[in-house]
Amino acid sequence: MNTTEQVGQPGTDRPPPGRPWTVRSHRLPPGSIQRLGLLAIIAVLVFAFGSARSSFYNQQLTVFPLLRDIATFTVVGLSQMAALSVGHMNLAVGRMAAFSAMFMGLAYQDWHLPLYPGLAVGLAAGAAIGSLTGWIISATGVNSFVVTLAMDFALLGLVSLVYSQFSTTAAFTTQPAGMDGLRTYSLADLCAGNVCGSPAIPQILLFTGLAMLVVGYLYARTRVGRELLLVGSNIRAARLSGIPDRRRVILAHGLSGTLAGLAGFMLAVTSGSFTAGIGSQFMIPSFLGPILGGTLLTGGVVSVVGTLLGTALVQVIRQGLTTLGVGLESLDVYLGVILLLTLSAGRIGSVVSHRRAVKTR
Amino acid sequence: MTDIGSDPILLADGLVKDFPGVRALNGATLRMSPGSVHALLGENGAGKSTLIKILTGLYQPDAGNLVVGGQPITLHSANDAAAAGIAVVHQERNLVPEFSVAENITLNRIPVRGVLVDRAEMRARARRCLDLLDLDLDLDAPVNRLSVAQAQLVEIARALSSENRVLLLDEPTSALTLQESDRLFELVRRLRDQGTAILLVSHKLEEVFAVCDTVTVLRDGVSVLEAAPLAEHSRDEVVTLMVGRSHQAASFEPHVVERDGPAALELDKVSTASGHRDISLDVRRGEIVGLYGLVGAGRTELAKALLGLDRVVSGEVRVHGQRARVRDVREALNRYRIGYVPENRKEEGLFLDQPLTMNIAVTVWNRIQRAFGYVPRARERKLVQEYTESLGIRASGPDQHAGLLSGGNQQKVSLAKWLAAKTEILIIDEPTVGIDVRAKSAFHQLIWQLAADGLAILLITSDLPEMVTLAERIVVMRDFQIAGSVPNDHDYERTSTAVIRLIHGSGSSNRKPYER
Repeated sequence: MNTTEQVGQPGTDRPPPGRPWTVRSHRLPPGSIQRLGLLAIIAVLVFAFGSARSSFYNQQLTVFPLLRDIATFTVVGLSQMAALSVGHMNLAVGRMAAFSAMFMGLAYQDWHLPLYPGLAVGLAAGAAIGSLTGWIISATGVNSFVVTLAMDFALLGLVSLVYSQFSTTAAFTTQPAGMDGLRTYSLADLCAGNVCGSPAIPQILLFTGLAMLVVGYLYARTRVGRELLLVGSNIRAARLSGIPDRRRVILAHGLSGTLAGLAGFMLAVTSGSFTAGIGSQFMIPSFLGPILGGTLLTGGVVSVVGTLLGTALVQVIRQGLTTLGVGLESLDVYLGVILLLTLSAGRIGSVVSHRRAVKTR
Repeated sequence: MTDIGSDPILLADGLVKDFPGVRALNGATLRMSPGSVHALLGENGAGKSTLIKILTGLYQPDAGNLVVGGQPITLHSANDAAAAGIAVVHQERNLVPEFSVAENITLNRIPVRGVLVDRAEMRARARRCLDLLDLDLDLDAPVNRLSVAQAQLVEIARALSSENRVLLLDEPTSALTLQESDRLFELVRRLRDQGTAILLVSHKLEEVFAVCDTVTVLRDGVSVLEAAPLAEHSRDEVVTLMVGRSHQAASFEPHVVERDGPAALELDKVSTASGHRDISLDVRRGEIVGLYGLVGAGRTELAKALLGLDRVVSGEVRVHGQRARVRDVREALNRYRIGYVPENRKEEGLFLDQPLTMNIAVTVWNRIQRAFGYVPRARERKLVQEYTESLGIRASGPDQHAGLLSGGNQQKVSLAKWLAAKTEILIIDEPTVGIDVRAKSAFHQLIWQLAADGLAILLITSDLPEMVTLAERIVVMRDFQIAGSVPNDHDYERTSTAVIRLIHGSGSSNRKPYER
């Protein structure tokens, strides 16, 4: 990216700018420091856990499931990030995943669809329920917190009802061809000639990579993505600048629902069946990843890579503590404390320095 | 009447205040006497706001002394200042939007009976404060339903609600019309005669010279003129002191207005859902038409109707002679090339926590996007750079957040996005509220240049001198109707008199100015 060259157009003899901008002069994109900090913390933790228990480096038992969890919860985080980008939140993120997964289960069991068409059906269901939520929010003007909370309850009831009607074991267990493979395959199963990937890296991570690419491209490079951010930043100014704010709100929630659906699929792949309980653990982690990664609760700023890193941090801590033999109850306490420390260190510091900078005006 | 020699009620001596990277005050001195109106002048960034914040306990000075009523005092909080008898009307709104007018006015000292709020007493107190200002507002209306001007008056009323020795008014008239300002200053004089010391911070020199007795001028955090009798200084002298170099009144070369063919923007007996009746006016290419009126006369609402944010129920809007039906801002922009620079730049014009690039490029993505909505960054940056340079926006770079710019530069950013979008019709609403003298005249120059470049400009402003400086014709609105139109011969006395006459014009109106 280089825009510093003065293009010598004939006929333009504007006086030279007083202070020319050099794109190269600014060191790093905003938020980089925070993300590098996260990366450093993760590295330190990985080293610490690994030194304490060498089993933390066990590819089969630790690294592979850890990366699989990171893969799924990063997509969960991206789903929340989409709602956060317009300054909203999606408390129904888990239930939207369940709703989508339900359609996938139906597609495989009753409609006998192959793997990817079934996935497409589920994603479409997620997109639809998300868009509906967004439409309700923008049409009624009710706070997204309230609407998504209501949606969460409604979907909880609906999904349980459908499972009890259509399945005998409260789960769709029919697995289309290739689904089991997705669960266990690692990059070791992908070879180019003689060069194969690492057996520690699950193939399911490719879905996450794809989701990150699409979402990242949307927010960083496209008009629509930027308009989402501006709606989150100041919706009145956005409307007066010609941004169709209602449509953008619907889009953000539709995107959130789609990604929730993808996360639901990934979790079902990991656990082997489509149940009503899919996504019930999504809600709180969905906020941790984006917020640790620098996405603002107030909207207008998102970070895709940050969401990955934030999610990775949480999962590394969780996995590390499990490896250390910390019991399930105390694990959450430790997790809470560590997260608080991490958040305080990075976030408060940057907020304070920003406030200072603003106040001096 | 004024007793400048008497002991000061408030003395701030050698105040120093540092912020990271900036020294906002560098030994500023302020001396206020009881029973006198004191002006505090200075350009934006001279340290006026910082000084006020120190006087009201929001900031603590790094050095210097405060003496109130002969007693040295340290103010740790706004409560300390209130206890010392210092009341303030801040430039920014400090009202609780969801609370009622009565609650906001009595907020500092809510009357109670036992543990319950004494509502009757609260309303009575609030009513007394409003009566001082001759204000007829619904005491129970939540403040967020009020117009900007009304909210400002409520804020002033609140400062009056306590018996204070010192009253600080920071830009109290920025959203008020002449009539409302007059009423305020009448009250200021009354308070002065009762012995209150009043500090007025204002960018409007007319009102400063009309009501103030003494003046302190701040420049770069230092008092360059200290508690001097205002009568001994001319306006030019004061401005020179503020700016640090002599400042000349703006006068512009007349430019060519395209008289042939259809007008760029033409309203023919337009009535809207918000209550406008039979509005007819036209703006031609190269012309600046002023829209003047009391606050609440329906000027901003008319602008919003033209953008499709409010419904036109009858009559016709024509753009370049073609009938235009605008449904939303995007259509106004892309199809009819109409742009709107809103009156509250911070709330409606800017994305304060976003970089300049986003703030300016928002209107051009539509035009420069490629497949899949891809925005070519190099192209975007080049466009943004072009407009920041041509408008002289001073920023550290394209990634600087809009919230960190000065008021004048913010206003230029708010304007730049419409220029970048190549609008042909520009509606500019209260462009220079809260902008310092130098930036203001630069902005006037800019608006004039845009008209000279062939834009049709509809200028909404409550600043009559600004109107007379810029507008070719002044259309006066009253009660959502056109009261008349005044050709501007740039003679301030004559034109302003004609405008004021129209506002108070013949015929009674049914609508009270503060309704709506």
